[in-house]
Amino acid sequence: MLQGTLIYGLINSVVLMLVALGFSVTFGISGVANFAYGALYIMAGYLAWLGLHALHLPYWLAAPGAVLITAGVAALIYWFILLRVRGLVVSEVIATFGVGLAILELFRYLGFIGFEYTLPQVDASYNIGETVVDAQRLLIVAAGLALAGFLWLFTHHTKVGLAFRGIAQDERTSLTLGINTDKIAAFSVAFGAGYAALAALVILPLGTIAVNEGYNVLVNALAVCIVGGLGSTVGIIVASLLIGYAQILTATYLETHWMMIVSLVAILLILAIKPSGLFGVHKELEERI
Amino acid sequence: MLAVKELIVFYENAIAVNDLSLEVKQGQIVGVIGSNSAGKTTLMNTISGLILDMRLKERRKGGQRITVMGQVFFEGADISQTPAYERARAGIVLCRERHPIFPDSSVVENLKIAGYLRTRAQVRQGLEQAFALFPNLARWRRRKAGFLSGGEQQMLAIGMALMVGPKLLLLDEPLLGLSPAMQTQLVEAIKEVSSRTGVTLVIAEQFARPLLPWLDFAYVIENGMLTLTGPGPELMTNPEIKSAYFGV
Repeated sequence: MLQGTLIYGLINSVVLMLVALGFSVTFGISGVANFAYGALYIMAGYLAWLGLHALHLPYWLAAPGAVLITAGVAALIYWFILLRVRGLVVSEVIATFGVGLAILELFRYLGFIGFEYTLPQVDASYNIGETVVDAQRLLIVAAGLALAGFLWLFTHHTKVGLAFRGIAQDERTSLTLGINTDKIAAFSVAFGAGYAALAALVILPLGTIAVNEGYNVLVNALAVCIVGGLGSTVGIIVASLLIGYAQILTATYLETHWMMIVSLVAILLILAIKPSGLFGVHKELEERI
Repeated sequence: MLAVKELIVFYENAIAVNDLSLEVKQGQIVGVIGSNSAGKTTLMNTISGLILDMRLKERRKGGQRITVMGQVFFEGADISQTPAYERARAGIVLCRERHPIFPDSSVVENLKIAGYLRTRAQVRQGLEQAFALFPNLARWRRRKAGFLSGGEQQMLAIGMALMVGPKLLLLDEPLLGLSPAMQTQLVEAIKEVSSRTGVTLVIAEQFARPLLPWLDFAYVIENGMLTLTGPGPELMTNPEIKSAYFGV
């Protein structure tokens, strides 16, 4: 029982982390709001499904295709919608949230509801001690580690990754240093959406692709980023572990339908105690003074 | 190298720069001297192209109307409509006033972000150069830039601007808010930058006394208009300058 809780808590934490990484690239590290994030996540799932079942493509073509198209759509959202309100944070949030709503409800309108909307999963299971874990969940853990590691390297050791940090902190200074801020921001939105799509491809096979999941994904990603502190990769990992285990413990010892409330409570608590998050880099200066 | 021709800038109906022309030759240190609200920063922003971005952002949010007339030439080409990041690529790098750094990043990370246009080898070289020029920064490599003192932040800002590999370096009020000791140190550093890298410098400053002796040429502006021009040392002896800027 305890062993199972520990293992499934870890898996749940990795799921949360995967979901939050892409959101953190765009909103946390680059300071561009993309609240269509949950919709892009779900869209990647439906695109992969369409590739497999409508176009009868092989998986190795349908999956990367879905990732690329999702990233492309995100770049278009930046170029045609976000760019017009760039710099007005509230407008950015409202505009992208609106786009997200439109995408999700369009899928609902088109009738993408039902049990047939599933993605293929790895069929195998292993025993870890007395607990049975299926291969798909192990794949999720592996993907989580790989994507988190790559993100850390990318944002600390590549020019574009460093430029993400630059445009979040001071756009004008970035301009004077020769950084094309709009191009970098668009790339950041696309990069985050690509991460969302990758997360969707490994996580969605666990269940069916459902429109409502898009809203939950956004809330969870937001919770992890806020609790961990915007812009901090280490913060994301710690916050996913905290919220992930809290959710599993809630499900085990209370009831499953309380799970969704955990991330909302976490947001409220952290905003009351330490608004910049556990490892927040932004606003730390102001808080100290 | 740089020529500004008949530049006029309005914020709404208020004129900030009024029919101003100036010229900078390769390798010179040129000063733009003037009091608060004389139009120095607007001039620097116009040369660096930042004003185009400001105009766009203001228009987007329905804010202030910014009007720019006149031309800016760099190495013979008209760059009046070139965006700021393209101008940085061409070699015009502005170090904005009030030490523009990335406060949440460490000193090294600040310099690395500034090396966006450079190769890895150039970035490494630039880091060494910055630490050689400003030994204070070397002590705080891993420290968050926001926790540095004002003078150190200004040094970092200049180090970042140099990292871009400028042909023309624009410094906007580098001495603002620094202690006299720090000012002397910074003026020495600026002279060293000029002699070591051969970069052309344009410095906007209201406190002219520590700088004026070293200026190849200085433009004194008031309310956006040129009032006096001449080589720095010559202006030092000008009674009007003495009374207006030295407090004698």
